[in-house]
Amino acid sequence: MEVKAEKKTGKTGVNGSPKNSPGSMLLRLLSVFIVLHVLWGLIAALLQRDMLPSPLVVYRALLELDGGEMLLNIGTSMGRVFAGIALALIVGLLSGLLMGRSPRWNKLLDPVVYLTYPIPKIALLPVAMLFLGLGEASKIVMIALILVFQVIISVRDGVKAIPANTYDVLTSLGAGRMAKFTQITLPGALSSILSTIRISLGTAFSVLFFTEIYGTEHGMGYFIMDAWLRLDYPGMYAGILLFSGVGFLLFVLVDLFEHRFMKWRA
Amino acid sequence: MEKGVVIDSRHTAEKEGQGLVARALTVDYGEGPVLGPLDLDLPERGIYTVLGPSGSGKSTLLRAAAGLLPDFGGSLSYGGRPIGSAGVAGADIRIGLVPQNYGLLPWQTAIANVRTALKIARPDESRARRGAAALRWLALTGLSGLEGRYPRALSGGQQQRVAIARAFAIRPDLLLLDEPFSALDAVTREDLQRLLLESWRQQPSTMLFVTHDVEEAILLGRKIVMLTAAAGPPVLIDNEAVFSLADEDKRDHDAFHEQTRHIRRIMRERR
Repeated sequence: MEVKAEKKTGKTGVNGSPKNSPGSMLLRLLSVFIVLHVLWGLIAALLQRDMLPSPLVVYRALLELDGGEMLLNIGTSMGRVFAGIALALIVGLLSGLLMGRSPRWNKLLDPVVYLTYPIPKIALLPVAMLFLGLGEASKIVMIALILVFQVIISVRDGVKAIPANTYDVLTSLGAGRMAKFTQITLPGALSSILSTIRISLGTAFSVLFFTEIYGTEHGMGYFIMDAWLRLDYPGMYAGILLFSGVGFLLFVLVDLFEHRFMKWRA
Repeated sequence: MEKGVVIDSRHTAEKEGQGLVARALTVDYGEGPVLGPLDLDLPERGIYTVLGPSGSGKSTLLRAAAGLLPDFGGSLSYGGRPIGSAGVAGADIRIGLVPQNYGLLPWQTAIANVRTALKIARPDESRARRGAAALRWLALTGLSGLEGRYPRALSGGQQQRVAIARAFAIRPDLLLLDEPFSALDAVTREDLQRLLLESWRQQPSTMLFVTHDVEEAILLGRKIVMLTAAAGPPVLIDNEAVFSLADEDKRDHDAFHEQTRHIRRIMRERR
C-alpha cells in the first residue's frame, strides 16, 4: 500500500555515492601526504642547504627525539590549547546563545562585539604579559581572547538561524526554558559550534606558538624555537612535523565528533 | 433533515462538558485586528474543522489556542482553565500541535521526537511507559520499522505521520492541527485523513483542524466552524450527517454533496 511506496522514497539518502567512503578519503589524504613529501625531497635535493634537510634526515631526527621529553612538550601545549579553547567556549557559548535568543541582549552586546572584534588581539600579547605575568595565565588568556569573538558571532548566528516555529510544538506543550535549550537551541546551533571549534583549533595553535616563545621551558612552540636557536634544523623540522601531526589528530577528533552528532544532517 | 443551522454559539456549551471557549477574542499585531472579536463554544470531544479564506485568522485562532501568542484580547479557556500567553498553557492543559511543516526536530529520530514531547507533557510517567506509548503510536500510524530514521530520511507523508503519532501519544486534551495535509499529494492526504479519524476514535479529544479545503472540512469535521474574512461572528455548521457515515462512503454520499453546496453558498454570501 502507500506505506510501502513511502518506504522506498525514504531510502534515497544523500550519502550513497562511493566517492565519499572513508576508504577513498584515506587514499586521497595519503596521496596528498606523499606528494607533499616528494615535493619537499625534491626542493631539499635542489637546494642542498642546511636550512632545508631532506625528509629522510628529518624523520631520522624525529625518531631520535626523547620520547618522555616530547610527551611533556605535547602535553604542556595541549593543556594550554584546551584551557584556552575551553575558556573561549564557556564565555562565547554563553554570550552567543544569549545574544541569539534574546533581542534585548543582542542589542546590548552587539556593539561591544562589533567594536572589539577588529582589534588585532595578538597585539595585546604584551598587555596580557604585563597584567598576567609570563606564566600560564597570559598564554591561556591570549588564546581565549582571540577565539572568543569568533565563537560568539558564529554561535549567535547559528542560534538565530533556527526558525522560530521550531519551538512551537514544545512551547505549546509547556516546555520550560531548560527543555527548549537542550532540545532545540543547543542541537540546532551545534553545527555552528562544531565548525567554530574546528576553526578555533587552527587559530589556537598559531597563537600557542607565539605564547610559547616566552616564559616557558616546555611546549611544542618552545621546542621548535629552541631547536632553531641551537641551529638543530632537523630537530626543528621534526618538531614542526610532530606539531602538525598533533593538530591533525585533533582535527580528526572534531570530525568524528561531528560525524556522531550531525548524523541527522549527513 | 436539518443541516447547517446557524447557531448562536453562546448557548450550546453546557451539554457536553466545557471544551474550548473563546470570549471576545481579538488578536492584533499592531496593524488592525487579525482576528475577532470572536465568541466560540466548542464542547469537549468533538472534531471541529475550521474553514475560512486566507486572512480570516484561522491559523491565528489555532496559535492562540496553542498558547503561542504572546498577547491577545478577550479570553480563551479550555475546560474552564484559561489558556494564557506563551509557555503557560502546558501546565494543566495538554496540547498536541500538528503544524503544517510537521514541526519535527530534525536532529531527533522519529521515536526520539515522540519521546521528547512525552517527556515534557508527561514528566511524571516512567521512561518505560513513555517509550512504550511512543512505540505504540508510531506503530498505529504505520511507521513500524522506521522509528530510528531521522526526519530527513522520511517522506513528507511519513513525517506528518510522526507528527500525528507525537500529538496523540501525549494523550492531549486539545488537539490542534494547522492545515496539516495541505503540502501532501492527494493519495497520501486521503490516507492520512483516514488515519486521523481512526486515531481520534481510539482516543477522542477536542480536535481543532484548520483547513482551507471545503471537502476536507466536511470529510473530517463533526462541526464546521466557518470564519469570514470580514470580522463577523463565526458560523457553526452541524456536520453530523456526514460524520456518522463510514469513512469510505462519505465522498459518494448525497449528504456530502449537499453539505458542500451549502457551505459554498454561505461562503459566497459572506464574502
